[in-house]
Amino acid sequence: MSKTTQAPKALRGVGNFIDDRFHLAKTGEKNLRKVFPNHWSFMLGEIALYSFIILLLTGVFLTLWFKPSMVEVIYDGSYERLQGVPMSEAYASTLYIDFEVRGGFLVRQIHHWSALIFVASLVVHMLRVFFTGAFRKPREINWLIGVAIFVLAMLEGLFGYSLPDDLPSGMGVRILQGVMLALPLVGPYISMFLFGGEFPGEDIITRLYMLHVLAIPALLLGLIVAHIMILWHQKHTQYPGKGHTDKTVVGTPMFPAFAVKAGGFFFFTFAVTAGLSAFVQVNPIHLFGPFTPTSITSGLQPDWYMGFMEGSLRIFPNWFDLTLFGYAIPTAVLVPGLVVPGLVFGGLAAWPFVEQWITGDKRAHNVVDRPRNAPTRTGVGAAGVTFYGVLWLAGANDILSETFSIDLYLTTYIFRVLAIVGPIVAFLVAKRICLGLQRRDRETLEHGYESGTIQQLPSGEFIEVHKRNSEETAHVLKSKPTITSTALADDADVDDKGVENPEARKGTGKIRRALAHWYTKDNVPFDDVEEHSGHHLHHSAPEGEKEAAH
Amino acid sequence: MKWITARRRHPLAGYVVVILALALFGVGYAALAPTADQARAQTLAADAPSQDDVDVLEGKEVFDQTCATCHNYDGSGTANGPDIRGVGPAAVNFQVSTGRMPSMDPDSQMPRKPMAMSEQDLQNLIAYYNAEIRTDDLGPDIPYDVPDEAPDRSEFEDEAAYEAAVEEYQTEYEAYIEGAEDTDMGMRLYLTNCAHCHGWSGGGGALTDGRWAPEIHAASPRQIYEAMVSGPGAMPMFSDGVIEPEEKQELISYVKTLQSEPDAGGIFALERVGQVAEGFIAWVVGLSLIIACAIWITAKQRAHD
Repeated sequence: MSKTTQAPKALRGVGNFIDDRFHLAKTGEKNLRKVFPNHWSFMLGEIALYSFIILLLTGVFLTLWFKPSMVEVIYDGSYERLQGVPMSEAYASTLYIDFEVRGGFLVRQIHHWSALIFVASLVVHMLRVFFTGAFRKPREINWLIGVAIFVLAMLEGLFGYSLPDDLPSGMGVRILQGVMLALPLVGPYISMFLFGGEFPGEDIITRLYMLHVLAIPALLLGLIVAHIMILWHQKHTQYPGKGHTDKTVVGTPMFPAFAVKAGGFFFFTFAVTAGLSAFVQVNPIHLFGPFTPTSITSGLQPDWYMGFMEGSLRIFPNWFDLTLFGYAIPTAVLVPGLVVPGLVFGGLAAWPFVEQWITGDKRAHNVVDRPRNAPTRTGVGAAGVTFYGVLWLAGANDILSETFSIDLYLTTYIFRVLAIVGPIVAFLVAKRICLGLQRRDRETLEHGYESGTIQQLPSGEFIEVHKRNSEETAHVLKSKPTITSTALADDADVDDKGVENPEARKGTGKIRRALAHWYTKDNVPFDDVEEHSGHHLHHSAPEGEKEAAH
Repeated sequence: MKWITARRRHPLAGYVVVILALALFGVGYAALAPTADQARAQTLAADAPSQDDVDVLEGKEVFDQTCATCHNYDGSGTANGPDIRGVGPAAVNFQVSTGRMPSMDPDSQMPRKPMAMSEQDLQNLIAYYNAEIRTDDLGPDIPYDVPDEAPDRSEFEDEAAYEAAVEEYQTEYEAYIEGAEDTDMGMRLYLTNCAHCHGWSGGGGALTDGRWAPEIHAASPRQIYEAMVSGPGAMPMFSDGVIEPEEKQELISYVKTLQSEPDAGGIFALERVGQVAEGFIAWVVGLSLIIACAIWITAKQRAHD
């Protein structure tokens, strides 16, 4: 039997035809064999990609009937309850999609659920990258692209939410306008420019429509393509494991194994989204009714990804509002509306560079950190998640207040305190948990793992048999990096000729050293650990049981 | 039993026990907890009861026993309860028929409860209120032409009489709801005046200082009307001069039509809570299921065992 199996002649013919013209065989083979590490957390970004594809497809379907126009019409469609009600053409055409287009209601719900899942998967993917340190060199640029995708996805969602011109749409746009107006000096001009006059005007839906279906998706698509091409070029990160190094990737080849998995995963993502859309009502615009500037309702929120902005608006106090030269400076809107998102997204974008500055680590990393092995980073991440989460919850404070019968004002005070105390506590707790896990790792490395088997020794003593770690486990545990910073090195203050480094004496140098100390000080050392060396006499099985002896 | 014994040390056993315990308590609580919102009154929407049907003396007895402790024997109020001589019978009917009065705790907002007395007692009480307590016919009258709650089976001796009453009630209810034709007016009135507390769906909402705007789905059209004209609790009063009776009919019709509107988007409507519930489901059901699948398709043998 020959070792090489030849493709059928028909395929070979086509293959040769293409290869003679485009010389694809070599590139194709290389890329089809590309290796993808096997771990569920590496699939999170794919959920976002697939949701985006679903959004593009369903979005195209919706544009076939949606009319981005604020011209007032009297509704006479098939939704009986609203017949005779004056409304914008945008709202009427959305009702048309819901009730007259075959499958329109389902597709609109798929579009909405998919948007919610899209941003959620972005967040989870981003958290995975953050907590594993996968943003480190050489991937800082891709991290920045990711942050940009996140911001654009939020805007895209906000504008899409505003298009049907139903009650929540109008309220969302009104809040957006309020934040714009709070900008000193330029605020009113920006608002008048965007709305083409006073709120609500007659242009805003048309303009948001252009942004929602053309400008932002084009940007998103470009950034997503760049994100994936950079990933392709730089190759995937991988978790520590046997044979996993900064120079070798271990995993499944693109074709056929990974392609089948990824293809199947697309259909699963689509199935869950479609299943939700078929059974769970989302954004029932026909129940809300059309927006009028006098309409206002309690208990309505923006979609979840805007929740943290809503929350910061709700809990930020008005104690700092001031008037300068006769102009009001509404800090109670400015700070939560601009400074808080600036902190969240600015902090995300800056972190890789801040961390690199603190540690002075300029090496390329293709093997990611286990979160426990970078306790300070994990603590910072936990603090960020908590801050975001508290603001997000605060955005639903009226729903929480009503559902759990808590005084509405009390929730505001609770969230104000939590927004400050929560991140600090989360940092400390997360860091302690990391260090605890490091200690357990150290113990496992020294003693092997607890087998759950209890044995009685001839002396009457009971022991639990510890078994030898698998090679894989031992490798993972041993590969824990020691976190250091060049700022703390012995020769950081003097150069190789013994001359004092002027940088180290400056303020930034001092800050850097302090941060480096903070970043590296807590760490369980693994240097002196000898594998399977601990508790020889006490925890090993009696002689004769070879597999358990160590 | 052996099946359980063999698996009691399974890594997931602890979680299973916790989930079962939580489910047991959750379901148990849901089954046993008192449902404060299930109120039922028994009047048929009809004209004012004639003098022959009511007994003012019995009404006085009810008043002295259940109301006078706080509102005083002449309705002039005490430290615990306000003067009710000028509130009008609509207020009395609203407060008592929704079970808010008599109140257990005058210092806190009263939730909707089943009515504390029989329908006949309420009629007698109102007759007594009108005859002896009310000053100078102050306050709004009961809107007898607006339909009240559906008849209750226990008030009727035989099935035929009950069914006849239900039919009569439904005819009247539908005539009132469908008599309103201007959805736009009803919607604008509701969304301008009511929705910022009771919510767009009538599901209620949180208010300042620990108060809340109740859900209005259980309220009958007459109770909604009475709430508007009497302004109970923190609610402003919308007299018939501010919102005319025909406009009130449009408004009530809007609320009730929206309430009975089927949820076209799916069998799970999330109580019409809206975006907070949707975001919760997107994370807890949608994204979690997809991630579970990712874990499934990338699963491999664990390193240890």
